[in-house]
Amino acid sequence: MKALTANRLADGEVVFWTGDVWSERFVDSRLFDDNAEAEAAEAHAKSNIVELVDPYLIDVAAVDGGVVPVSYRERLRALGPTNKPDHGKQAVGGADTALLATAHGAARSKGRVDLIRRK
Amino acid sequence: MYRYDEIDREVLADRVAEFREQCDRRLSGAMTEDQFKPLRLMNGLYLQLHAYMLRVAIPYGALNSAQLRVLANIARTYDRGYGHFTTRTNIQFHWIKLRDAPDILRDLAEVGLHAIQTSGNCIRNLTADPHAGATADEVDDPRIWAEAIRQWSTFHPEFSYLPRKFKIAVTAAAKDRAAIRIYDVGLRLHRDADDALSFEVRVGGGLGRLPHLSPVIRERLPVRHLLSYMQAILRVYNRHGRRDNIHKARIKILVASLGAAEFARQVEAEWELTDKAAIDLPPTELARIRATFARTGFETLPAISTVFEAAKADDRAFARFARNNVMPHKQPGYALVNVSLKAIGETPGDASAEQMEVVADLAERFSLDEARVTYEQNLLLPHVRLDDLPEVHRVLAAAGLATPNITLISDIIACPGLDYCALANARAIPIAQDIARRFADPALAERVGELKIKISGCINACGHHHVGHIGILGVDKKGEEFYQLTLGGSAEADAALGHVLGPALAADRVAPAIDQIVEVYLRERRDGERFIDTFNRAGLAPFKEVVYAPAH
Repeated sequence: MKALTANRLADGEVVFWTGDVWSERFVDSRLFDDNAEAEAAEAHAKSNIVELVDPYLIDVAAVDGGVVPVSYRERLRALGPTNKPDHGKQAVGGADTALLATAHGAARSKGRVDLIRRK
Repeated sequence: MYRYDEIDREVLADRVAEFREQCDRRLSGAMTEDQFKPLRLMNGLYLQLHAYMLRVAIPYGALNSAQLRVLANIARTYDRGYGHFTTRTNIQFHWIKLRDAPDILRDLAEVGLHAIQTSGNCIRNLTADPHAGATADEVDDPRIWAEAIRQWSTFHPEFSYLPRKFKIAVTAAAKDRAAIRIYDVGLRLHRDADDALSFEVRVGGGLGRLPHLSPVIRERLPVRHLLSYMQAILRVYNRHGRRDNIHKARIKILVASLGAAEFARQVEAEWELTDKAAIDLPPTELARIRATFARTGFETLPAISTVFEAAKADDRAFARFARNNVMPHKQPGYALVNVSLKAIGETPGDASAEQMEVVADLAERFSLDEARVTYEQNLLLPHVRLDDLPEVHRVLAAAGLATPNITLISDIIACPGLDYCALANARAIPIAQDIARRFADPALAERVGELKIKISGCINACGHHHVGHIGILGVDKKGEEFYQLTLGGSAEADAALGHVLGPALAADRVAPAIDQIVEVYLRERRDGERFIDTFNRAGLAPFKEVVYAPAH
């Protein structure tokens, strides 16, 4: 299962594609079971140069209570830095924050691998 | 310190206007990200995990109170109330919005600050001994020479697109407080028997995936030829550096593959062909720069301060601070005061806007309007009267800036790591916090003595892990955060790269392993030995045995 993420151009904020708009909350993400559909959404996002920087697909997985990014890096992007719990999206709190913060298991982030490849 | 003249101010104003227009074009969609990215990087603006990061250059780590107040104001107005001082003596703001970036650069320019030479494959911001102009063990003020190179290198057309970034450090003291051996070029000033000044020139140091300590390529370079010789080094690098492979593009790889002697021969050959007089700094210009660093505000004071001595006798906390954070000054009656950005449990190198303002006020009132940034991610007040130390300590302590731990085990270098950095594999900050909490008792930290822990969240080694007495490298092991320990590194005159202790450890095993390593050291150490001395005598084996002992 995949979700689509990017940073917002004007302020760098991490955003997620809901299917209609870009949201600041991972919990709003449109979840793609179909790879072709996900890639089409990614390609469309890449053409949106006025709003976005570096859109890419992330792997997500179902856990008790919802869906979370598989990789630790992507969960950190969806939360904020662990040294400042009052900064970033985690500051808002709520059930989605708790779910992301307590999720275990990690995997290499495709986002990082692509970033390094691009360098 | 060096003050920008009219030309400098015009250059900065033009640069801000240019970047404002570039940002407008990007935000309107007139430019793609691929077109814009190199332009924003030339202005120090990176995109990281949660937002843009702006890296502001602090040439040779020197700040005055007005500059520190502007940095504080940027933290408060445009960021989330704090900044992060780095191992390159710069400051990074981690929550910057692209649309604010031109205004931030405008605010910086008003006090002669900018983000030029903080990114890209150019000659980067210079670093120098943070004790410059205050320590008795220097033969000249290294900032004069760092400033000369800065002026020559800024926007240098021939060296703006080098094979890779290029970093220079300068010291004039016997004790290396600028880590010159891990720099692309490390310069050490000497005063020779005939009183002439010369540079020992080292080239090809660097950490990262393939760490190297720089060899000497010229023992004595007359200081008047600094710029022409730098040009020769850069020309050889520009010609032969590995542009085909980013992992082999730094000058350290070129020097290692040619060998120091052959590299030196090529530099000398290039230098022979150089019209030195056309490049080298004219004596008048050198004198102009030198004059800006001349320090005349010192009072004539007795070497011993009864106020200081009485305060030490009365107040154990102050005495501890004086032992660990206060260092001798060349001027009788003065001292250098280290301002610790390593409060227990806090993020190494972070300072809040309020803390920056406290240091700015202290610099203005008590340190001839000067503050410094050290590569070990602390601040420093270079010229404090001994009589003023109790008051300076009181104000620092009230702001959480007086942790008495300089060079001790809780004075840890840590890069931002995966909490902020787009390149990191693992977090560095929480590991530093865990370790510092274990050694929060200042008496214990003092008993352990000098012990430099350096943590990087990836192999790029911004946290200098290779040269930590204990180095910690975050790695991605099948997607989990793991940490590789090295022992025996040093960034000082006895520079050495650390030795890998064994297989990487899970995050929750790192702080306990540091405990075990310290226990072995306390057991094994002989009279007066620091951790690094004990390691150099006893080797890895006793440490390895304990950390990797089978669980009972």
